[in-house]
Amino acid sequence: MIDNLILGFSTAFTAENLLWCFIGVLLGTVIGLMPGLGSTTGVAILIPLTLTLEPVTALIMLAGIYYGAQYGGTITSVLISTPGEAASVVTTLDGYQMAKNGKAGSALAISAIGSFVAAIISLALLMALAPPLADLALNFGPVENLAIMILGLIIVVSFAGGALSRGLMMAAAGLLISTVGVATGFSDARFTFGNINLLGGIPFIEVMIGLFAIGEVLHQIRMGADAPIRTRFRDMVISRSELKRSAGPILRGSGIGFVLGILPGAGSTLASFMAYGIEKRVSPRKAMFGKGAIEGVAAPESANNAAANANFVPTLALGIPGGGTTAVLLGAFTIYGLQPGPRLFETQPTLIWGLLVSFFIGNVMLLVLNLPLAPVFAQMLRIPYGYLYPIILLTSFVGAYSVSNNMFSVLLVLIFGIIGWIMKELDLPMAPLVLGLVLGPLFEKALVQTSALGQGSFLILLQSPISVVVLLFAVALMVGPKIAARVAVRRSPRPTRTPISDDEREDAR
Amino acid sequence: MTVAQRGGLIASVVLAVLGVAAVVGGIGYGVTVEGGEIGPGFLPAFSGGLVALFALLDLVGRLRRRTDLPTQAELILDTVEPVRTGHGGVIGYTPGDPGAVSTGTEAFHVPDTGDDLDIFGRTQKQRNRMLAVVLGLVVVALIAVQLVGFLIAFVLLIFVIAVVVEGRKVLPAAIVSVAAGAVTYAIFVALLRVPLPQGLLGII
Repeated sequence: MIDNLILGFSTAFTAENLLWCFIGVLLGTVIGLMPGLGSTTGVAILIPLTLTLEPVTALIMLAGIYYGAQYGGTITSVLISTPGEAASVVTTLDGYQMAKNGKAGSALAISAIGSFVAAIISLALLMALAPPLADLALNFGPVENLAIMILGLIIVVSFAGGALSRGLMMAAAGLLISTVGVATGFSDARFTFGNINLLGGIPFIEVMIGLFAIGEVLHQIRMGADAPIRTRFRDMVISRSELKRSAGPILRGSGIGFVLGILPGAGSTLASFMAYGIEKRVSPRKAMFGKGAIEGVAAPESANNAAANANFVPTLALGIPGGGTTAVLLGAFTIYGLQPGPRLFETQPTLIWGLLVSFFIGNVMLLVLNLPLAPVFAQMLRIPYGYLYPIILLTSFVGAYSVSNNMFSVLLVLIFGIIGWIMKELDLPMAPLVLGLVLGPLFEKALVQTSALGQGSFLILLQSPISVVVLLFAVALMVGPKIAARVAVRRSPRPTRTPISDDEREDAR
Repeated sequence: MTVAQRGGLIASVVLAVLGVAAVVGGIGYGVTVEGGEIGPGFLPAFSGGLVALFALLDLVGRLRRRTDLPTQAELILDTVEPVRTGHGGVIGYTPGDPGAVSTGTEAFHVPDTGDDLDIFGRTQKQRNRMLAVVLGLVVVALIAVQLVGFLIAFVLLIFVIAVVVEGRKVLPAAIVSVAAGAVTYAIFVALLRVPLPQGLLGII
């Protein structure tokens, strides 16, 4: 462990890696800040820029964008009640109220401090948990891997929100898209329709840029601009009593965030909502929630940062991304020629530990940047969206072109941009599609190997105790929440807050 | 039935058809090989079948109008406050209320009731037209790449969108678009040595 840390520090502390880490967290803060420009979009757009860098340097920067965006998203939530990131939505509830009460400074400060504490706690847990998990996963054969991938897909689907059938539909669609081209182990070209550009399959970056960057731009154009509300900066210092009140929420938020972040697909958005919900129940100052309670900012902000780090546990140890952004990052691994999965800890210790240590450095940088400079970052909000989105269009298309030096990529970006926009309009979840696409080739390989082991029968899945446990867990996750929700609704002591049942909806119409 | 609801139905039907087509294609590639092990057509047929199955389930769900169940986030926070609109359905939450919650940023926009204005006083209809114009301009720019080259085509795209679609002033728009082009040139062409298409003009 100590050796690994030393290795990590010696990797991350080179001038080049420190510089790119700084660029990453700075860009991340700005990207998180901009409404309509999230960490997934940011990472997708910027992957092409990193192609000439060393893989470890590139990943340090891209990861910096990811957790930097968690800090930046807060600033907009507090100042203009418009979250820059989905994970900061819940911060608007109390953060904006605090800003209205002239306590914007306290809100921003506590979220930076909470984010930092959560990041450090979750990073320690990540470093402690991921290697043994990877060790365990190293013993997995194709059978267990197949079971894990099924679990990963189910988890993403069950947490993606919305109807289960839609999530499963999009995951299957992702798998289907991944089958285009010549599969490993087979010589047949599938669904290429004679187009040689499709022989190598539908490339990952183009799909990401299309879905997340172009799709989002098209969606925002139709949504129209929001009215920005400016707040004054007074009282930039945080009081001792506020810090004391926030300690509990920060620790609880970190714990909740880490647990939810580990589950592939649960992600930081759900973690922040959960942390807020729980804090609202246990806090002695319940009545203040929604009126500017500092606990209501500290808890979700800690949770989303803890979850962002915890997301890397399944991503690094199992090769199954925890959320949308880590799915894109995992795609970046394959672009740099790295096979994601448990072997990385053995074959690429420098990369893994350098990356993990860079999280620590990046979070220190973010704390230093965010405590005094939040008002400066807020100036970025003055850039009108009318300029921003054509520039996003340019960056997306140039980036896509530079990956393959081919106009076909640009066309693919446009096509997937339109698909992404339609999905947004229709509220179809994107994370399952992305995961299906990333896992597709690995999934197919595991399928082929499993069927070879079982001589054509998949009953072998039920002969390995590990895979049985994993599959049972998957079934429980699919069915469990529905049962739990039903029980919770039935037992709810507050009938006025019970979600309206279908029959009542029909009656009201 | 709103546009979104109709769109959802159409999307489900399209996906179901695509799924069935993938199953047919997959069977054509060979679902199993000799010895009963899976072949190149297995995953296409399997995933296509799942797409079709779940698309049909979704279609049934949409037809039964169960799209407006509260999200997980709303259940956790107990903040389900449905707003009933003229469309007869629950399509959004109290506009402008900072306490309104959804898992996306959409909750902070007014739901599209057809006549809401954004800060520039543009109606939903105008914004829909903007979207169509922007999409059209992007297609024109992609075609123009063959003619004037990648960078010039996209600098023009930024300028035209800013001035014509967004109603920005000509001079600032020109400065922004040329600056964006210059930065792109510096990073991608000068630094990363990406051979951007120069088109028939062949200038940059």
